Amino acid sequence: MLIAQVPLADDLYLAAHDTVRGRCVLTPATLGLGLSSAVLAELILLRRLDLRDERLVVLDDRPPPDLATTAVLGQLVREQRRGVRDWIAYLSTGVAADLISRRLTRAGLVQRIATRGLFGTRLRYVPADTVVTGRPGSRIRVAAERRELLGVPDLVLAGLVFATGLDQHVLVALDPRGRDHLFDQLRRRLPEPLHLLVGHAEAAVGDAVMARRA
Amino acid sequence: MPYTTSAGSARLCTALARDRLGVPAVVFFVMSAAAPLTVVAGVIPTGLAVTGLTAVAIAFLTVALVLALFSVGYVAMARHIANAGAFYAYISRGLGRPFGVGAAWVALAAYNSFQVASYGGFGAIAAPLLTGWFGIDLPWWLIALAAWLLVAVLGVRDVAVNGKVLATLLVAEIVLVVVFSVADLFTGGFHASAAPLNPAGLTGTGAGALLVMAVTGFVGFEQSVVFSEESRDPRRTVPRATYIAITLIAVLYAFSAWAMISAAGPDVTERAAVTGPELFFLLAADRLGSTAVHLGHALFLTSLIAAMISFHNIIARYTFSLGREGVLPRAFGRTVPGTGAPKNGSLAQSAFGLLVILAYALLGWDPVVQLFFWGGSTGGLGVLLLLTVTSAAVLGYFANEPAGENLWRRVVAPFTATALLIVVTTLAITNIATLFGVLPGSRPTWVVPLAYAIFAAAGAIWALTLRRTRPSVYEGIGWGARSRRFRLDGGDQW
Repeated sequence: MLIAQVPLADDLYLAAHDTVRGRCVLTPATLGLGLSSAVLAELILLRRLDLRDERLVVLDDRPPPDLATTAVLGQLVREQRRGVRDWIAYLSTGVAADLISRRLTRAGLVQRIATRGLFGTRLRYVPADTVVTGRPGSRIRVAAERRELLGVPDLVLAGLVFATGLDQHVLVALDPRGRDHLFDQLRRRLPEPLHLLVGHAEAAVGDAVMARRA
Repeated sequence: MPYTTSAGSARLCTALARDRLGVPAVVFFVMSAAAPLTVVAGVIPTGLAVTGLTAVAIAFLTVALVLALFSVGYVAMARHIANAGAFYAYISRGLGRPFGVGAAWVALAAYNSFQVASYGGFGAIAAPLLTGWFGIDLPWWLIALAAWLLVAVLGVRDVAVNGKVLATLLVAEIVLVVVFSVADLFTGGFHASAAPLNPAGLTGTGAGALLVMAVTGFVGFEQSVVFSEESRDPRRTVPRATYIAITLIAVLYAFSAWAMISAAGPDVTERAAVTGPELFFLLAADRLGSTAVHLGHALFLTSLIAAMISFHNIIARYTFSLGREGVLPRAFGRTVPGTGAPKNGSLAQSAFGLLVILAYALLGWDPVVQLFFWGGSTGGLGVLLLLTVTSAAVLGYFANEPAGENLWRRVVAPFTATALLIVVTTLAITNIATLFGVLPGSRPTWVVPLAYAIFAAAGAIWALTLRRTRPSVYEGIGWGARSRRFRLDGGDQW
C-alpha cells in the first residue's frame, strides 16, 4: 500500500465526512457511537482488551503507542464497570469524538476551525483535504468490487460503516454482489470479539433510534 | 485490579447519568404523545354525542386505575427485555413469537388508524376555523393533505427539533385545558353534576364504549418504557414517570370532563351532538371572551398536529424495529444517516396516510364520523386488545423468569390487571355498536374485529413461516434493534 494506513477510528471519522464539503453526514450521536466502538476495536486489535459476550476484559494495561487509546485504556483500568454497552454509551457522549478529532489534528488530517458566532466561539474539526475523507470508503469499495480479502482493521471499519448506516453514503456505489462479498467476509473472517463489538455498535445505534436520541 | 477505586467508577456513572433522561423528560414525552387537548376537546364531546353517556370522568379514573395496575408488571418486565416500548416484544417473550408477530401487525393497524383518524379530524375541524379566520373555504381533504405533508416531511427530517416543539405545545395545551375548565365553573349554567362521577354509569349499556374512549385518551403512556435503557435509574425513573403521567392525565381529563358536563347542563349529550368539539370552547367562551376561544382553536389544531407527529414517529419506529429484526424487509431498518430518522418506516406510514385521505376524499366519506371517530375507536379497541394480551404476557414471562422481582410486581398486579382488562375488552366487544355509534350488526361492528383477527392470524402465520425458512430471524423476534445482524449464529440474516 502506498499510503500509510491511519488508525481505524480515524478512518471512520474521515469516512463519516462528505467528500465535497467536509461536513459530517452522521448525527453527532451516531458518529459518537461509531467512534466509541472504533476506539474499543483499536484496543482489541492492539491486544490490550478482549470482549467476552457483553464484558470488556483488560488483557494488558501497558499504554498503547498513541494518546487516544492510552486515555481510553487508562480510564477502563480505573473504572469498575465493564459492560461494553456502558462504555460505548459513555465514550459516545463526546469523549471518543474529542480524542479522535485531536488525534487527526495532530496527524494533520483535520483542521481545527474556530467560528465566531452570535453565541461565542465554536470549535469545529474539518477534514483538511477532501480527498482524504473519501479514501477509507473507496478502499473498502474497491476491495469488495475486486473480490479481494480485506485486512481485519478494514473489515471492522466495514462493519462499523454498516452499523452506523454510513454505507448509504460510502458504499452506495457498491454492487449487490460486492456487498454480499463484504458480508460474507464479515461473517467468516472477523475475529469473534470484533464481530461481537460491531454487533453491539449496531444495536446501540438502533436503540438510539428507538429512544429518539439518534 | 489494583487501580480500581470507587471514585474512578463514579466518573463513568456520572457522565452516563448526565447524558440520560430524568423523570420530567419522560413524563413530557409520554404526555405529548397522549395529546391532552385533542382528547379533551375532540374525544370527550364526540364520545358524549355518540354514546349518549355522561359517566366520562369516572371512566377516565377507572381506566387510569387499571392502567396503573397494568404498568406495575409492564415497567418491571421492561427492565428485563430488549426493545421495551413495543407491545409485540413483551408478547413475543411472554407468550411466544407467533403471538408476538400477530400483535405487531395488530399494533401497526391500531396506531395507523389513530394516525389517519387525526388527519380526518384535523381537516374537518380546521376547515370551518379557516373560513372564520381568513374567509377562505377549503375542502377538508386539502387541509388534511397539508397536515399530512408537514408530518411526512418532519418524519424523515430532524427528530430532535420535534421534541422541543412538542414540549412547548404540550405545556400550552395543558394550561389551556385547565384555564377553560376552571372558566366552566364560573359560567351561568354551571351546576355541579354527580353523573360524570357516578360509578353506576359504568354498568349500563354502552359502558364498554365509554371505557374504550377513555383508553384512547391514555394512548401514548405505553411509550414511557422506550426510555428504560436511556433513563438515569431504570428501576425508578421509568416507573415513576409512568405513574405520574397516568395520574396527571387522569386528573386533567376527569376534571375537564366533569367541568364540561356540569357547565353544559342536563342536555349535555344533545348539545355535544349539535356542536361536536366546539362544545369545549363554547362553554368557556362567555367567561373568557372570543380571543381566548381563538387561541384555544389554534392550540387545538397544533395539538392535533402534535398527536399526528408523535403517532407517526411511534409507527415509524415500530416498523424500524421490525425491519431490524428481519420480520419486515430489512430496508425498514434503515435510517437517514444525517438525522437518525427511521426513513422507510416513515415513508411507508406517509404513503398509507395519503392513500386513506385520497380514498375518503374521492369517495366522499365523512371525515368526522367515518374517519376521526371510527378511526379513533378502531385504534382504541386495538390498543385495548394489545394491553390485555401484553398484561397476560407479563404474567407468562415472570412465570418462567421470576428472578429479581417481587410477588406483587410479577404475579398479583399483572394478574389483577389482566382480569380487569379482560372485563373491559369483553364490555367493549359486546358494546361495539355503541362504540362506533351505529346500529348493531352494521358494517363497522364486524369489519373491525374481523380485520384485527385477520392481522393477528396473518402475523402468527408469518412467524411460523419464518421459523421454518429463516430460523435465525425467528430467534431474533422481539429483540428489536438488538436482534443483531452481526451475531455469529445469525448466518442467514443478511
